[in-house]
Amino acid sequence: MFAESPLNVRNKRIENLFRILFLMMTILLIIPVVVILATLIAKGGSIISIDFLFTDPTNGMTAGGIFPALLGTVWIVAVALLASVPLGVAAAIYLNEYAGDNWFTRIIQLAIINLAGVPSIVHALFGVGAFVIFFGFGTSILAAGLTLAIMTLPVVIVSTRESLRAVPQAFREACWNMGATRWQTIRRVVLPNAVSGILTGVILEVSRTAGETAPIMFTGAAFFLPFLPQSVFDQTMALSLHLFVVATQVPGVPENLPFGVALVLIAMVLLMNSISIAFRMYLRGKKKW
Amino acid sequence: MKRIFFVAISLAATTLFYTLTVNAADRTIIQNKGSDTLVNVAQAWAEAYRDVDANVAVAVSGGGSGTGIAAMINGTVDIANASRKMKSKEVKMAKGKGQNPIEHVVGYDALAVFIHNNNPANSLSYEQLKSIFGRGGKATKWSDIGLSVPGCKSDEIVVVSRQNNAGTYAYFKKAVLGKKGKFRQGTLDMHGSKDVVDLVEKTPCAIGYSGLAYATDHIKMVCIADQTGGECVNPSVETASDRSYPIARPLFMYTNGEPRGAIKTYLDWVKSDTGQCILLKKGYAPNRDVSCG
Repeated sequence: MFAESPLNVRNKRIENLFRILFLMMTILLIIPVVVILATLIAKGGSIISIDFLFTDPTNGMTAGGIFPALLGTVWIVAVALLASVPLGVAAAIYLNEYAGDNWFTRIIQLAIINLAGVPSIVHALFGVGAFVIFFGFGTSILAAGLTLAIMTLPVVIVSTRESLRAVPQAFREACWNMGATRWQTIRRVVLPNAVSGILTGVILEVSRTAGETAPIMFTGAAFFLPFLPQSVFDQTMALSLHLFVVATQVPGVPENLPFGVALVLIAMVLLMNSISIAFRMYLRGKKKW
Repeated sequence: MKRIFFVAISLAATTLFYTLTVNAADRTIIQNKGSDTLVNVAQAWAEAYRDVDANVAVAVSGGGSGTGIAAMINGTVDIANASRKMKSKEVKMAKGKGQNPIEHVVGYDALAVFIHNNNPANSLSYEQLKSIFGRGGKATKWSDIGLSVPGCKSDEIVVVSRQNNAGTYAYFKKAVLGKKGKFRQGTLDMHGSKDVVDLVEKTPCAIGYSGLAYATDHIKMVCIADQTGGECVNPSVETASDRSYPIARPLFMYTNGEPRGAIKTYLDWVKSDTGQCILLKKGYAPNRDVSCG
């Protein structure tokens, strides 16, 4: 056998050092998540109840529940999803399955990357100009949802493209050789195999959409509304803005209220995420490759 | 699996279609936007008005007096809240766009000067406030006005102000620093009355101003004197109502033209005893004598 030379010993020591260093970094990453969740539960957990979730705020928003805000967030997320998922998936299919590698495609890609880099407050102003004023939707769920849809479109497109790209080229070629058209191949072979990846994009979008405040503040969310939204042309309250309002604008709010709102917001996102993740794992389990 | 998708998508589409076509036509919505000072009263009014007329809904948003006035100029609100008067330039702009802003006084607000509970100061004069808040003012340390504040080691005065589109900012500037006066540089400009109070509560060196309604037990309000050492007036609803407190301002609601229909009914209710008592309960002074039970 070989004896360990000093060089081997030294290398091993350095190896261990770096392994532990990187492990520490990873653990460091988890700390904020744990601290945030623990703080929210410790300070806001006491207020959570069925009544809190399903009643209106009362007494100048210092008491009562958060139902209008909760419902409003669901509305806005739904509109944003309905607008951005079909559009984003279609764009991704075009880019990955049809488009050739030419200047036109590259410009589109550049535009998508740039769209992803636009700060949310700029999207908000765009939303005001385009949807609220130009299209005349007014400050409404529709305007807010569409603004968020545009903001999250790059996420959907990029993640859909990635998952389409992950489907082996051989699958397509085999399908074409059987005489299938491009569209038949996409519908029967590519999309079913890519759906779990597409869902990941949607998950990411939901999380981001539910939490955004700036884009909806100007386009559809109100400080207080004495009614529940009944159509997409109504204004609405929203959890994220409600959190901002009770934390900074309203005097005399009990301390556990803002924390409770934050907890509900996070729980809602986590819940939606875990449903999608479970669904995704189920689909992935069915994958045959 | 595909079937589930189709069902989900068609369900969603039906819901959307339904909501797009079925409109709640019998409900009137009044858009009410502006002043952060008024926003909590506006919210309380909107909340209470639900029981007065269930078919009229008042949608309240904040953002500052400037936001409300801008929305009035653009014609996107029914009622704009403002804690300052519209400037003649703004009225002209509104008229240029076909709006005709009509002013309604819906109450009064005393602007209190807040300091940390440790601060020994009881009264401050106009002169002292000017030297603390004004540009070129001499007082940059608490010892400059003869005070030593426990817990404030640096002795430097932390001046807390508001963002410059706030009506509170504009009114305090005019009332304390004079028409041509300017705030000193390096003030901390907060985005809401409550933020000012929260900051001053935690900072022994700080001094700031906000509506009386934002006062809490954890913070001290300064008695305002005309001259240093002279008699002073404490900010309160009473002293704001009888105009003895010097830094009190009217609170406005602006409508486009003389209010009509649901807007008129709502404004009349706001100015009625019921509406004014809600305002009083929120810590503001009513626009006239009212007796609340």
